[in-house]
Amino acid sequence: MDPLVYILDFIVLVGIFSIFSLSLNIEFGFAGLANFGKVAFVLIGAYTYTLLSNINVPFFLCLIAGAIASAIIGFFVSLPTLKLREDYLAIVVLAFGEILKIIVKSEGWIAGGVWGTPVYPAISIAGSSTRLDMAINIALVYVCLFLSFLLLQLLTNSPYGRVIRAIREDEVAAEALGKNRAKYRAQVFALGSAIAGLGGGLFAQYLQFIDPYMFAPMLTFTIWIMVLLGGPANNWGALLGAGMVQLFDRGANIAKDYVTLPIDPGNLQYIIYGVLIILVLLYRPQGLLKESQVKTKAGESIFNGRDFAKNKGD
Amino acid sequence: MVNWAQVFVNSGITGSLYLIGAVGLTLTYGLSKFPNFAHAEFITLGAFFGYIVAEPLGLGLPPSLIVAFLVTGLVGLLCYRVIFQPLSKKGATLIHLMVASIALGLVLRYSIGSIWGWEPLYFKTSWPSFDIGIIRITGLWIWLIFVAITLSIIMHLILVHTRIGKAIRATKSNPELALASGININRVILVTWFIGAGLAAVAGIFRAANTQIWPMTGWDIILPIFAVAILGGIGNFYGSIVAAFIIGLAENLGVVALMTLGLSTSYRIAIAFIILILTLIIRPEGLAMLFRRS
Repeated sequence: MDPLVYILDFIVLVGIFSIFSLSLNIEFGFAGLANFGKVAFVLIGAYTYTLLSNINVPFFLCLIAGAIASAIIGFFVSLPTLKLREDYLAIVVLAFGEILKIIVKSEGWIAGGVWGTPVYPAISIAGSSTRLDMAINIALVYVCLFLSFLLLQLLTNSPYGRVIRAIREDEVAAEALGKNRAKYRAQVFALGSAIAGLGGGLFAQYLQFIDPYMFAPMLTFTIWIMVLLGGPANNWGALLGAGMVQLFDRGANIAKDYVTLPIDPGNLQYIIYGVLIILVLLYRPQGLLKESQVKTKAGESIFNGRDFAKNKGD
Repeated sequence: MVNWAQVFVNSGITGSLYLIGAVGLTLTYGLSKFPNFAHAEFITLGAFFGYIVAEPLGLGLPPSLIVAFLVTGLVGLLCYRVIFQPLSKKGATLIHLMVASIALGLVLRYSIGSIWGWEPLYFKTSWPSFDIGIIRITGLWIWLIFVAITLSIIMHLILVHTRIGKAIRATKSNPELALASGININRVILVTWFIGAGLAAVAGIFRAANTQIWPMTGWDIILPIFAVAILGGIGNFYGSIVAAFIIGLAENLGVVALMTLGLSTSYRIAIAFIILILTLIIRPEGLAMLFRRS
């Protein structure tokens, strides 16, 4: 295999997974929503993209439609659980992902059922080389990543971002300040789902093939590892986590050709992932990059940072 | 023509399986205050332990149930002691505990996969089947119903009449007060994890003997089991008995409806999901209010 293509492929996938981890980060990191069914919204984006591009809709409209479809469905799925504890959302969304997978598996007319279906690439130039295709994909993915990142960075550093963090930290206090918890949670969940849907569309057009087995719960937990490792509630952390996990994935894939292990490497990889999550949660729950403190002019003039609160606590 | 008598018998069998699977989940969920997603892997693990005792060792069903109960119970207890208790002490949030349980599930599932492989295994024991009128029932199903009933009676007696049962109920309803009354709530929670994982193993053996056994055995039925726990009211044993049979009945009626409509019967799992959603919309506390005592 062409080493350059291998590296370019890696760059594209890091970009796509960064979009996924950013979308989980706004939900879990900033708003404290446990989305255990991220894969469902990736799936919706991917299938919407595929179905629309098959009837010759321009690619950017397919991507936007995937994001909107994910947002709408995400909104309705989260609706019954918004006023309840976080665990109900986790269970419902996890279950929803499984049901959605069963639907696309058993309904052959949607997109080939279990057999899957080929997907047209977003931008194809007649007679182009693999390298050029990769370069085009990098441009497309990284434009989408940049726009998502910019949006989330602006949003989380705005008053809106402070409200959702406040709800995550203490929902009673936030409600006492007149912030409607359910409304903010629904908005954040829809936004996170939209970004996941966008990533799903990019994923489908890059791989040029989709089938239901690609959207296993394992994909959700890979994204969770990225966010937990990189640093929840830190958008840079989400990018770092996506890069690191992809790198580990590649490293493991290369290593297994050279190292013989008593355990099948396919199984070992997920055992390591599981152990890694538990260790991170036990010893460094804030991830590699910590959440940056909220800085506002008013806050500085009143408390002079957090020192005031700390001294008082001691 | 639908054989309704058979549908109701099947509902009872499905309900019995879900009940055995859900009791452990609902107890640990109620006392530790987080849903243990690795419960699915306790089911799978128990199925494999049971398989070893029943098939390669050839000891039959009853010893396999007992051995799997004890060994898996011990695994569950260790998992709580090594992972969840330290996490709770460090002040982990609900989401962190849930993620940790998913991670534990991954470790267990893929460890099982690397030990026993991903090819489905089957219990080779053939069970005699009896025809009672238009109803057909196998020896395995009789065992399942017998175990479910025995379990319900034993659990009831434990919860109402023994010290540990009273401690479990006290810890569930008010941990601080239980602690203040001199109940060692850590030990109580450890006991529920032992019982919970042990019962998951029993459910796993029946599920595996009825269908197949592979690393996803538990995951295949975790959704209805969660639906039972939530419909019954989290931590509520009596509620989960009623909920298990409601969901068992709904699933079997649903299968009839799906076949009549010409849809795939793999949607049967969606029926539990619909009940779960309806519970959350209408009555998030489940059937708990029907049973004051627990």
